[in-house]
Amino acid sequence: MKRGYDTLRSVAESILAAIIGLVVGGLILKAWGYSPISAYIALFEASFKDLYGFSGALANATPLILTALTFAVATRAGLFNIGAEGQMYLGALAAVAASLFRLPPVLHLLVALAFAGAAGALWALVPSGLRATRGVSEVISTIMFNWISRFLAFWLVANVLVDPYRAEKTITVLPTSRFPTLVRGTDLSYAIFLAVAVALLVYFLLRYTVTGYEMRAAGANPDAARYGGVRSAKVIVLVFLLGGITAGLAGATQSLGRPPSYAVFSGLPKISNLGFDGIGVAMIGRNHPLGIIFAAIFYGGLQSGARVMQLFAGIPLEMVRMVQGVIVLALALPELLRIFRGFRRRRVELGGER
Amino acid sequence: MPEPLLKAERIVKVYLDGTVALRGVDFEIRPGEIQGLLGENGAGKTTLTKIISGLLPPTSGRLLLGGVPVRLHSPKDALTCGIGMVHQHFALVANFTALENIALGTGRPADQALRASIEELMERTGLRVPLDTPVENLAVGERQRVEILKGLSRAVRVLILDEPTSVLTPVETEELFNFLRRLKEEGVGIVFITHKLREVLEITDRVTVLRRGEVVGEVMTRETSAEELARMMVGAEFRARGRRPVELMTEIPVEERRVGAERAREPALVVEDLHVPADSGGEAVKGISFELYPGEILGIAGVEGNGQTELVEAICGLREGKGSVRLRGREILGLPPLELYRLGLAHIPEDRWKYGLILSFTVAENAILGRQRSPRFLGPLAMLKWGEVFAHARELIERFSIQAPGLEAPAKSLSGGNQQKLIVGRELSQEPEVVIAAQPTRGLDIGAAEYIRDILLEMRDAGKAILLVSADLDEVLELSDQVAFMYEGTFTAVTTPAEVDRETAGLYMGGMKG
Repeated sequence: MKRGYDTLRSVAESILAAIIGLVVGGLILKAWGYSPISAYIALFEASFKDLYGFSGALANATPLILTALTFAVATRAGLFNIGAEGQMYLGALAAVAASLFRLPPVLHLLVALAFAGAAGALWALVPSGLRATRGVSEVISTIMFNWISRFLAFWLVANVLVDPYRAEKTITVLPTSRFPTLVRGTDLSYAIFLAVAVALLVYFLLRYTVTGYEMRAAGANPDAARYGGVRSAKVIVLVFLLGGITAGLAGATQSLGRPPSYAVFSGLPKISNLGFDGIGVAMIGRNHPLGIIFAAIFYGGLQSGARVMQLFAGIPLEMVRMVQGVIVLALALPELLRIFRGFRRRRVELGGER
Repeated sequence: MPEPLLKAERIVKVYLDGTVALRGVDFEIRPGEIQGLLGENGAGKTTLTKIISGLLPPTSGRLLLGGVPVRLHSPKDALTCGIGMVHQHFALVANFTALENIALGTGRPADQALRASIEELMERTGLRVPLDTPVENLAVGERQRVEILKGLSRAVRVLILDEPTSVLTPVETEELFNFLRRLKEEGVGIVFITHKLREVLEITDRVTVLRRGEVVGEVMTRETSAEELARMMVGAEFRARGRRPVELMTEIPVEERRVGAERAREPALVVEDLHVPADSGGEAVKGISFELYPGEILGIAGVEGNGQTELVEAICGLREGKGSVRLRGREILGLPPLELYRLGLAHIPEDRWKYGLILSFTVAENAILGRQRSPRFLGPLAMLKWGEVFAHARELIERFSIQAPGLEAPAKSLSGGNQQKLIVGRELSQEPEVVIAAQPTRGLDIGAAEYIRDILLEMRDAGKAILLVSADLDEVLELSDQVAFMYEGTFTAVTTPAEVDRETAGLYMGGMKG
């Protein structure tokens, strides 16, 4: 009953936020003399008019669903995991590393995915251990680990996994471990099913299992959770491992499922920021696994729409980015406010009496 | 008699939730006088001082400053009017030095001029603190001095101290008193809030006693006694609740039930020489021992903040302690809460929003908090058996007549009384041997409070051992078979309710040994 009402309210809030974002973005466009209507038509037609465009949106959404889950699971448990970015790099490279040896199709893909998930989880292990045992802020440690991961990835691309014939990229992933393309001529691969399946799995975990119950309890009221026998150290490590796995898989969807290169390039041009964008997607999706699926598709659509807006409505790329930023910010705002209200409430409670 | 510095006239305060904290209080602060403000928890001491120091607006009534009506909208207003307050919880920036903390909010830099004036102030008042050490490295007593200096540096004429000695060692307390006497000579009016009778008698000149939002007495300290103050503080009469006498609740007469052969049983819970550290350093519980027998309620009475919270949390595995706590012969001190739960120790926590409930969780989800891993609710693949969870929640709702809009409604949509019933129901539903009930009726309306008390009596009659910690003296005296009075981390007396009258109880709660 109540739950249905809350869901409805969240959806209504998001729609309202989207409208506000579009209006404000439109005003900005107008102020610089561009036509908001034709700009928005270009923006949305690019992604949502035909199968080709929609495939692009879904392809963009695939890694974002997974990195958004990293952030969302942690937030639900009261933690701020900013580490998806770094975990994702290593996941992408671990998946490439699986092509150092040969295996039959399907099995090879599964092994590559296992590598990616393990790499992401391993990278999340240290920050979570520091938080669980020493109380080190996970925000700081995950950001630091992102940088370490970035330069480690540069080094791996240039020295370990390097393509002997083309020094600017890694070896190409063997066809046996690639995600097959779903829509011919587009970037969309079967990886989208992996992303959606993982989101559903996370939803199931949070909603129906005792582990999810304890994670949510730790996030909603850490004191009551402790009183109820929830061991916070365990929750922290679990949440980070889970997040590391999804972030690692996000990387794998790029190196194993993004034609035409099936490789990681030096400087990480194609995968940079997928982890950070995931935070925005998680916010838009209200940190809810199902909300995230839709938020990621929307976000992915905005990304591919940007090029079209630039090409057909003649709007400079910087302006396009700005308008997109406004829309994303407006959409993320309700969840951001909710999180900060939670913090303030907790502080007021600590203050004791009225 | 000198003209009062500040006069509060017919102050009424009704909080937004309908709680009446003050019912027309008159209060005067005179220059060169230390005025004691005495009362139990919830008497309205803190509310009154918050109104005087500009933190809260009164619902009606007025404040006169030197005979002129004033309206204070903020603590800053109050400071401008020369009214300073030192709260129980200090408002200091931990990594600032004392000097920087004093400068904060004045708009003045922490420069040599300020330093000189503060040093002069310290010289004059004898209140010395190291000015260049970060406050976090100072002892609690020193931090309090920084707070006081903060007020004095702004030339306050009225200084309000809220339970200033609760964080101090005896030596520090003595130093504070000496300083207050000097300050008094300079003509400052001091309000000293406390529930400790000895201190009131030692330091104050005049005492105002509050009870349930009303001034029940105002006396000159030299003309009164601890007995009189205790009587005024806790009231001479029992509150007429119209409840049936405890004795009638069971078929077996009380005397037979409790004395003689039956008492020779093993105690269910034995606490021996338990020490628990306080958050602010020092010890909150200083070596407490007691035995809790099946079929009995041991009540712990006392003003809040005398170590009850820490005692309960240590027994219930939420806080570290030293000593021994044995549950049916087994050492349990330091075991995690879930383990204690399994061994048959139920805990009704004093702060139902902090520990008892997860407000954003549904009623059903809250109904299994702490039992989420019991075989009844835990299925294969770590899945919760939601059917069982709902059935359990429905049972609780029925058995404890909880008014809830639905099993899927968030706990925050329940009234306070129903929230508490949900907690009590959950804790008792697992058939515990020992129940630790901390402030189980606080903040509840009369009907809900009565209901909870009846449940406790029922549990006792069913042979459970119950530790009841409550700041409500009537409640403790009415429900308990044995009663202990707690003051500053120790028991001042352990007796039976029949052997103690309210005046004596007040003395015990105020720190006089039994």
